[in-house]
Formats: sequence, C-alpha cells, structure tokens
Amino acid sequence: MSDQTTIRVGERPAALGALGTYFDGESAVAHPARIRIEEGQQALVIEFAGRHVLWSLEDVRWLPDQADRSELVLANAHDPVARLITDEMRLAKRCPNLTRRNTHVRRSKVLAWAFGAVASVALIIFVLVPILADQLAEFIPPEGEKALGEATLSQIRTVLDETGIGELPICENQDGLAALDMMRGRLEAHAELPIEMTVHVLDHPMVNAFALPGGHIILFDGLIKAAETPEEVAAVFAHEMGHVESRDPTRHAMRSAGSIGVLGLLLGDFAGGALVLFLTERLIEAQYSQAAEHEADNFAMVTMEAASIAPGALGDMFHRLADQYGESEGVHSHFQTHPTLTERIALSRAWQMDAEARGFAAQPIMSNQEWVQLRAICQ
Amino acid sequence: MQVISPWEAARSGEPETEVPTQTEFAGRRARLFWLALRMGLLTVLTLGFYRFWMKTRLRRWYWSAWRPSGHPLEYVGDPWEKLLGFLIAVVFLAFYIGIVNLLLMFLSFSLFNGNFAAYLLSFLGVIPLWFYARYRARRYVLARTRWRGVRFGLEPGAWGFAVRALWHWFLTIITLGVLWPRKAFYLEKYITDRTYFGAQKLTQNGSWFGLLRPWVGVWLPVLASGFAFGVLGYEGYQAMQNFDWVLEDNPTPPETSALWQALVLAAPIVAFIAPIWLLLALVNYNVKRVRYLTSHKSAGDASLDIKPRFWKVTGIYFWGYSFAGLVGALILTPIIVIMVLVFESDGMAAMGLESGTVETLPQPVLTAIAIASYFLLFLMWSVLMHTFIRFPMMRHFASSLTIINLGELANVSQRPRDEFGEAEGFAEALDVGAAI
Repeated sequence: MSDQTTIRVGERPAALGALGTYFDGESAVAHPARIRIEEGQQALVIEFAGRHVLWSLEDVRWLPDQADRSELVLANAHDPVARLITDEMRLAKRCPNLTRRNTHVRRSKVLAWAFGAVASVALIIFVLVPILADQLAEFIPPEGEKALGEATLSQIRTVLDETGIGELPICENQDGLAALDMMRGRLEAHAELPIEMTVHVLDHPMVNAFALPGGHIILFDGLIKAAETPEEVAAVFAHEMGHVESRDPTRHAMRSAGSIGVLGLLLGDFAGGALVLFLTERLIEAQYSQAAEHEADNFAMVTMEAASIAPGALGDMFHRLADQYGESEGVHSHFQTHPTLTERIALSRAWQMDAEARGFAAQPIMSNQEWVQLRAICQ
Repeated sequence: MQVISPWEAARSGEPETEVPTQTEFAGRRARLFWLALRMGLLTVLTLGFYRFWMKTRLRRWYWSAWRPSGHPLEYVGDPWEKLLGFLIAVVFLAFYIGIVNLLLMFLSFSLFNGNFAAYLLSFLGVIPLWFYARYRARRYVLARTRWRGVRFGLEPGAWGFAVRALWHWFLTIITLGVLWPRKAFYLEKYITDRTYFGAQKLTQNGSWFGLLRPWVGVWLPVLASGFAFGVLGYEGYQAMQNFDWVLEDNPTPPETSALWQALVLAAPIVAFIAPIWLLLALVNYNVKRVRYLTSHKSAGDASLDIKPRFWKVTGIYFWGYSFAGLVGALILTPIIVIMVLVFESDGMAAMGLESGTVETLPQPVLTAIAIASYFLLFLMWSVLMHTFIRFPMMRHFASSLTIINLGELANVSQRPRDEFGEAEGFAEALDVGAAI
C-alpha cells in the first residue's frame, strides 16, 4: 500500500496523496478512494469510482474517541452523513478545524428545558407535595392513622431492641405510669388535641422523644433520667403534643413519599447517587421540620403557661444537653431536623420572662415522691 | 489484533459468494481504562451531571471498536441531546411520580393502614413505563448508530412493546418461569422485526423452542432446590409439632419418611452445589440465547452468525469479578474503618480512649474521607467493569460474529434521520439499566 502513497511534507507541501475509503452517505457502498490536497483551493479532493468530491480543509472534522488510533475517520461539517476513513494520519496536520464540534442541539433550548425541569421539580417538592400532603392528612380516617402509628412503633421497637430478636420493652411500673398520667392530665386539660393521645415510655437510654401518626407519643427512659425536674419532662411532653396537634408525623410520611421519588428521577442511573439522594432528602426534610419544630415549641410554651408549668423548663433541659453533648451549627445545622439548641433555649427563656411579666405563677406538677416513682418507671 | 487498512478493506470488495465476512475488534484495554476513569471521575465530581458526556464518549469508543467486514461502526449520539431528553423526561415524570406516589400513600394509609400497599402499587405503576422507556432507549441508540455511512433505525412502537412485555411477563410468572425463553424470544422478535439497516428491514427467524433447552438448565436447579427445601421445611415443621417425644422417659423419635431422611442428607450438598450450578446455567443460557437469536437474524439475503463460547465467557466473568471484587474490598476497608471510628468517636472520647492517630482527626475530615472512598468505590467498580468484563466480552463476541452473504447489504440505501428529541431521557430518569 505504501508504494502507492506519495507524500511530501515541507515548507510548501506540493501535494498530499493518500488512500482511504469513502462512504457517500447515500448507500452503504465502500468506495476505495484516492485523497489529495488541492493547494490552490485549500481543499481535500476525494476521488472514487470515476467521480470526485471536494472538502474544504476548513470544513474537515474528525470523529473523536476512536478505538483504532492508526486511522482517521473524517467528516465534512456541511454533510452530516459522508465519511472518509484513511490511515494517512498526517492529514490531520493540514485541517485547521479538525476538533471543532458542531451540535444541532440549540443551547437556548437546553437552557429553557433545564429551567423548566428545575422549576417543576421545585414546584412539586416545595409547593405541590406539601400542600397535597397537608390537605390529604386531614382526610385520613383516625383509625387508619392510629394503626399506622402502631405499625411504625412496632418497627421502631424492633430496630432499637439490642437482643435482636424481640421488641424493646415498654415500661409499665404502675406508680410511674400514675405519675405520668398526672402530668398528661395536667397538660391535656389546657390543650385541644384533635385525637386521643397514647403515651408510652420505652426502656432505652437514648435522650429523645417523638410523636408518631395517630397521637402516639413516645418518651425514652434516657430522657426521663436526663431531666432534673418533672417540669423538664413536661416541657418535652408538651412539645410532642404540639406535633400531635398539627399532625406532623402523618404529613411527614406523605411528603417524603412524594419527594423521594422525584429526587430519585434527577439522579437517574448515576452510580453512588444513593448517598446524594439521601443527603438531599435530608436537607429538604430538615427545612420543613425545622418549621414544624418551631411551631411545636410555641405550642409547648402556650400550653405550659396555661397549665402553670414554667415554660423556661425546656430551656433548662436543652441548656444542660448543650453543655453535655455540644451544639452543631454552621453547614451541619442545615441537615438537622431541629432548630439549633441555642435558638430554642433563647425562645424558652424569653417566654419565661414574658410570662412572669404577665403575672405567671408556677404550680408544681407532682410531689417529690411521685417524681421519684416516675424516674423509676422502667424498673 | 491485525486491522487491515481502510483502503484494503474497501478495495478487496464485497464477497459475492456466501463466504462469511469476519468482524474485527480494534482498541486496547489501557486506553479504555483511562477513558472510563477520566469520565467516571468527572461524573462523580459533577454529582452525576457529566454522565451524558461519559456515556456518549464511551459509546463512541466501543462502537468504533466493532468492525464488521473491516469498517468501524459509528455512534453519532450527542451529549447535549441526551441532556435535553433527560430534562424533558424529568418535567413529565416529576408530576407523575411525585403526585401519584403521594396519592397512593394516602389511599394506602386510609384503606390498608400501612405504607406497604403504596410502595407495591407505585412500583407496579412504573413497570409499564419502564418497558416503554427501554424500547425508546433502543430506538434512540439505533437511530444514532451507523455503519458504512448508513443509519440504523427502529420503527416507533414503544407502547406496543410495553403491552407485550407485560403480557409475556405475566405468562412467565404464572407458569413459574417455564415460559421465560418464550418471553425472551418474542420480545427480541418484536424489536428485531422493527429494526432497519438503511432501507433494509431485519427479520428474526427461528422459534422460542430453540431457547428451551438451555433454559431448562437454569430452571431445574431452582425448581429442584425449591422443592427440596419446601419438603424439608414442611416435614421439619411437622416434626417440631410433635416435639413431645423428647420429654418421654424412653424417647423414640417418631417415624420420618424416607424422602425426608434422604433430603436431610442431600440438603447441604444441594445448598452448596445449587448456586454454582445456577450461575453456570445462567451464563450458559445467555451464551446460547445470544447465539441462537443472533444466528437467526437476517436482513434480506444476508444473515448473521455468532459463536461465543461458554467457557470463555465463564472465564471472563470469573476473573473479571474476582479482580473487581478484590479491588473493591481494598477500597471498602478504609471506609468501614472510618465509619466505625466516626460513629464510635463520641463513645471513645467519653471513655477516655484517646489513642491512635486516626481518631484524633476531626470528624469532618473523617466524614470527607469516608464520602470520597464511597464514591471511589463506585468509580473503580464501574471502571473495572468496563475494562475487565465489558471489554473482553465485546472482543470475544465481536471476533466470533460473521455476516453471511454480505453482497446486497453492502449496497443498501440510506434512511432518513430520526430526530427523536427526547433521546433516552425516560430510560435515563427511570434508571432502566442501559449501562452503555
């Protein structure tokens, strides 16, 4: 083959002659072709089957990412289908715009759809899904909600159980329950909840409490142990009542059902996207729930003041927790489902001061002995 | 591999006789490794945004490596059109998925008091879309594939495909999998019979019985071990019911059937052999399926023939996954160590266990290292899959592919461009699993 090729590359290359295959894009016929450069016209002349075509050197493009690097696959910018394949690699040096890409997709169109996609996802996640979730939560029959809460509670107890076989036990010390009931009665009398509450204490050292759909309020033994006064337990209790009042757990479950699916779409088949999906969902959820927590705190303040329990107790509790476990602020705090402790302490203390100005006088919730019994609820 | 020059390929002309035309495979593993690594890294760094470019460039490379009758295939897909198609799909699907999931969750809470029904229903609801997307993705890829300057193409028919796929899946499930090869054959036939190379239509010949024998190899071990463990479980349960005999003064075990005793002896052997048998049978079925379906495809006078070998394919899988697994384990080790340290660090500090060097690093640094390793794991896995599974597999398949009676196919005329603005957006968004 090389004996048929004459190439002179110099100051002024006279002629470049090479061999290749030409596909005209009209049929699948492979035309054996002779290629030379017509210096006068600055064009590539492709001669095949008694015909020839002229490609201006400026219009010659190559196909990138070819597996076989010993040949060039060339195209003409003005002809979408014709192809020239040659192993004369030096041809590349003579074509100035070889690597220029031309896409038929208009960037403005991509931009418009990108805007549309972002807008519709934002609309769905931040507007439509929350509104629908809030509206639909009203229509869920109370029995359904209650059963849902029971199912979730049972799942949580199974997960938290350290033996790995049973469910985490519910604390049932009679004296302790009586003390808890007293606290509950006191708070309940000053709040109008849409559904009946079911209150449980779980035998687990975690310092936490939560509300589940259907009026379930769960306190952990660790929380009761961490509290120094019954008022502090009552503050957390009242906060969880706030969630029951606004049906937050049910709305939360419905919202994440809507938004997780949509977020999953955006990541498509990107490997490792599960982590990004998780973090994004967490971020969105945190924004919602920070607002919900804020409202629950407000509810707790109002209820406690009405029930003659010091609203500042919530702040006292959090202040001690912050000293013990530290506070997270900055970037990290955007992923937190609760407002920062500092904010919540400030709110609680400010409320206490305002209440005192309004002539608030605290009444004890229970006797010292009853408080000892409540603390022993899991024994 | 000896690749003849384009001129030689063209000048040697097309064989007029029925001499099969060989396919060559060009390209080196090292190049693919670096390409996949670079593209994967950019995809991770852009949180998945670069994947449209990655897919395009990898496809260009793979396509050009296949050289039936000495001329490379060409992939002309455009990353920008993929991005556009994806955005279009997101706009439509976001409404469907977001609102429908939420409504289903509501119904599930109200009627079934739980969320399981909702997850099940929303999964079932996506299945038809999934088949639809798969056909559309195939149509896009074929419309952007060329050989000898001529386009391939697939006729529209995605909903027809989805309906048939649902029906065949239904039949497969109610017959406990016996009709799996029937499903495979008819779905492939549906696609092949709508595929064009230029103006020439392709045809899928043969019948689904051709796939039945290799399928029995897969189906039997599953059925046999299912039966064995079913009987074992049932008899064991019965024995537990009559557990009182242990408490008697003179314990005599109750009569057990001979079948049960035989199964008790066989169970460990079955438990060990069945998975290996099943894996080999699956490889065998897939090799035979590709062989049968490809060798029964024709385009006018021309027809295809492919002869992948079972042991060669098994070897590629074995060594490829062994190597990738080893590398994956090496990457995973630091992740696990760091994860443990991150979660335990509070407890360790409390107990005053301030030793070592790793746990003295601040938590954000540890978290960053863990996240980086997590993505590194996915990245390296995909790169190794390209270099040690897909590359050798394609090379083996390509080198055993021949075109018989190329003659007329070599003169086939061009077909018009299929604009297809949505590209493979739906498949992309729904993660249909068309990896390249």
